Amino acid sequence: MSNDIAVNMKNITVRFVETLANDDISLSIKKGEIFAIVGENGAGKTTLMNVLAGQIQPTLGSVEILGSTVTTFSPTAAIKAGIGMVHQHFMLIDSFTVAQNIVLGHEPKKPAKFGIFFDNKAAVRFTEDLIREYGLEVPPNARVRDLGVGLQQRVEILKALALGSKVLILDEPTAVLTPSETDELFKIIRKLKEKGHTIIIITHKLYEVMEISDRVAVLRAGKLAGIEETKNLSESKLASMMVGHELSFESIPRDETVKTPVLDIKNLTVSNARGLIAINDLNLTINSGEIVGIAGVEGNGQSELAQAITGLRPALKGSIYLNGIEITKQSPEKIRKLGLAHIPEDRIKTGLSKQASIWENLLVGKQRRREFAWLKLHLRRDKISKYSKEVYNQFDVRGAGIHIPVGSLSGGNMQKIVVGREFSFENTRAYVISQPTRGLDIAAMQFIHKQIINKRNEGAAILLISADLDEIFMLSDRICTLFEGKITAEFDPKTASKEKVGLAMLTHSKEEVCENS
Amino acid sequence: MREFLNELFTKRYKYDFSYILSLSISILLALILGAVIMLILGYNPIEGYGALIKGAFGSPRGIGDTLAKTVTLAMTGLAMAVAAKAGMFNVGGEGQLFLGAMAAAIVGAELTGVSPIIAIPLCLLAAMAAGGAYASIPAVLKVRLGVNEVITTIMMNSIAIYLCVYLSNGPLKTTERGIASGTQAIDPEFKFTRLITSSTLTQSIFIAAVIALVVWYFMSKTAQGYEQRLTGQNYEFSRYSGFKTNRIAIISMIISGAICGLVGMFEVFGIHGRFIESISKEFYFDGMLVAMIMRYNPIGIVVISIFFAALKMGSTAMEMKVGISSELILVVQSIIIFFMAAENGISRILKEKAAIRKAKREYLAAKAGNV
Repeated sequence: MSNDIAVNMKNITVRFVETLANDDISLSIKKGEIFAIVGENGAGKTTLMNVLAGQIQPTLGSVEILGSTVTTFSPTAAIKAGIGMVHQHFMLIDSFTVAQNIVLGHEPKKPAKFGIFFDNKAAVRFTEDLIREYGLEVPPNARVRDLGVGLQQRVEILKALALGSKVLILDEPTAVLTPSETDELFKIIRKLKEKGHTIIIITHKLYEVMEISDRVAVLRAGKLAGIEETKNLSESKLASMMVGHELSFESIPRDETVKTPVLDIKNLTVSNARGLIAINDLNLTINSGEIVGIAGVEGNGQSELAQAITGLRPALKGSIYLNGIEITKQSPEKIRKLGLAHIPEDRIKTGLSKQASIWENLLVGKQRRREFAWLKLHLRRDKISKYSKEVYNQFDVRGAGIHIPVGSLSGGNMQKIVVGREFSFENTRAYVISQPTRGLDIAAMQFIHKQIINKRNEGAAILLISADLDEIFMLSDRICTLFEGKITAEFDPKTASKEKVGLAMLTHSKEEVCENS
Repeated sequence: MREFLNELFTKRYKYDFSYILSLSISILLALILGAVIMLILGYNPIEGYGALIKGAFGSPRGIGDTLAKTVTLAMTGLAMAVAAKAGMFNVGGEGQLFLGAMAAAIVGAELTGVSPIIAIPLCLLAAMAAGGAYASIPAVLKVRLGVNEVITTIMMNSIAIYLCVYLSNGPLKTTERGIASGTQAIDPEFKFTRLITSSTLTQSIFIAAVIALVVWYFMSKTAQGYEQRLTGQNYEFSRYSGFKTNRIAIISMIISGAICGLVGMFEVFGIHGRFIESISKEFYFDGMLVAMIMRYNPIGIVVISIFFAALKMGSTAMEMKVGISSELILVVQSIIIFFMAAENGISRILKEKAAIRKAKREYLAAKAGNV
């Protein structure tokens, strides 16, 4: 084996109970390369990287890291071999400082005092050296909880580098970042490359692959669909490699719609689970035939806004009107009856019962209707089956029929069940839709986008909350940015730029946006 | 019936079948361990188990007693299941049972002389109302104040039991001579007829059968049962769906308590003819175990109740005939419960191992084919 190979994986096969997560994948990654791994959700990207990071033992196959064959698959062995993994969800201790987090696991001790006491000064020195060496600016004495997401990510990267990692795996690193933070991250990645590090980046955002990577491996349904030099690729080529056929990115037609106010929010104030103000004196009107997109960094009141409108969380102040009827203090049941449906942000926690079958999940909200329950009591299984099969087929759910538990479906198909159910209430004209495509693959995402726009064309009033700025831009008729519980700016997606919206997501008021731009 | 068979054999019960398999293996292993213990103690296990089976099923009286025990176990198990399926963990069935027995005994004594056709249904209602009303208190406390129902139901057991003990020794004590504690006897006309001479099996088994059918129907075929099931599976989801979650919690507890009250009435009307302070020997806690082993499945609860009842009834015969202490059966029962508690983890590990082996085999076979 030549010396310029950083990682060599041969015939990697990982089998879980029901699925073949990785099927005979062989690839080698050169030293000093930025190597992207793309694929739809469930394609096996993370599994493959977990094998490399020693988290999973492959059913078959072998791994070589920097010229030596891996014999035991454990995180410790992988770190020793030079692998560092930055997870999507940071593994930092909030109340510790940056330096304390970085030395965690190999803390310097004060030699004068029996070598058992933590030496904070040495830890800070160590961190400062590291920062200087790699040019990754982070305040070493700041507590992690006071840092933004972008900086926290840098701490994670530094932590991996501190352990001597030569090969860095970044799992969906840009998922939580704003556009400008993403640019910063890419600068860091290039810098690390110059220093001779190998970077493996897992992502499903194609333009990022095109921008940052040298080579790309595409995984599809657990198999390696191809490895290409990035410069020989285009975004559409990459997309078709991912899904296995040509994808049309044509926009979904939007009809002209009559716009009358449907959902009216006046001076709404809501507190979060910890009793802090999450939504602060918010005003918003959503008209029929319109999608209003709420853009914002997660944790700025999005969840509380959706919960307050749908009756799941009480409002402290203000009022919400649906078609002129006040729904502020109504129960979720009453609000649903008045014509509001809700696609919740967390489909497994809120939107479904995993143990229950598909038909049971689809019936929710209609179980007391005369057509489905004789005397509102005896469930008419034939009618219910017929209705469930209709929704099941109409929403193109891929599974083994309506009697299997929802928990056995993939994320995309689970979401189709939620959307299918919420979109099947005949007299509903208003929708609160949160994170409709989080974690879904491209095909499922396109399908759900189309359903949402169809509802809009039929005249529904839709409040769309999403952490995915692309999605907001693609679907919305108006974009409002939410920052610390207030609407800070409003944009027309046809004329606004992503950078401007991204900036408004991080600032207090319109004025500041104007000053900065 | 066809619908029922269809359901049993279609795909959706696939997981239940693997559960039944592990339950059978657990029971078998527990029985084998029981046999090993018998051997160590110097008894012949074939003789021991033989006496047990003979005791439980060998005579009309044995069958009668086993069935009577089955009724108690299955009823209390179903009571537990109704509440647990809706997410309410009712540990207070024992107290509800005492109050039901007391209410039935009082009404039964008061109505002496009235036609049984009128009196017995009234006593049934009184028992169910007492148990149900008492069970609704912790449910209301939970939905209004967020008080954990496990704690309140446990504590309310003592309140109910000691209240009944006080009543039967104090204000409501019978004037009959020679009875240390107990309420006034009910009209002998009201007592359930014994179905088999000298066994404890009475007409109450018919009422129990009807109740079991109704509970099964309610839990699996009605809109209310459906809402309760989904609420028990995921409370957040139920709230989001607009179910009346408070009402569901209260109704499920009332049904659970009403069934417990009924079990109390069976004891009064079937056996003792009055309330006595030893009316229940922790019957409800046995029922809880049965319900949990069967994961609150109503059909499963009835079936497994027969098995546990047979063990219990047969163990006495085993002790008398062979001399093996009936406590041994408690050991066997505990081993079954122990295995079933670990079932989830063990079957997952076995499944994973099997899948990996299969993958290797398939892969190597495919490779050999290619070469």
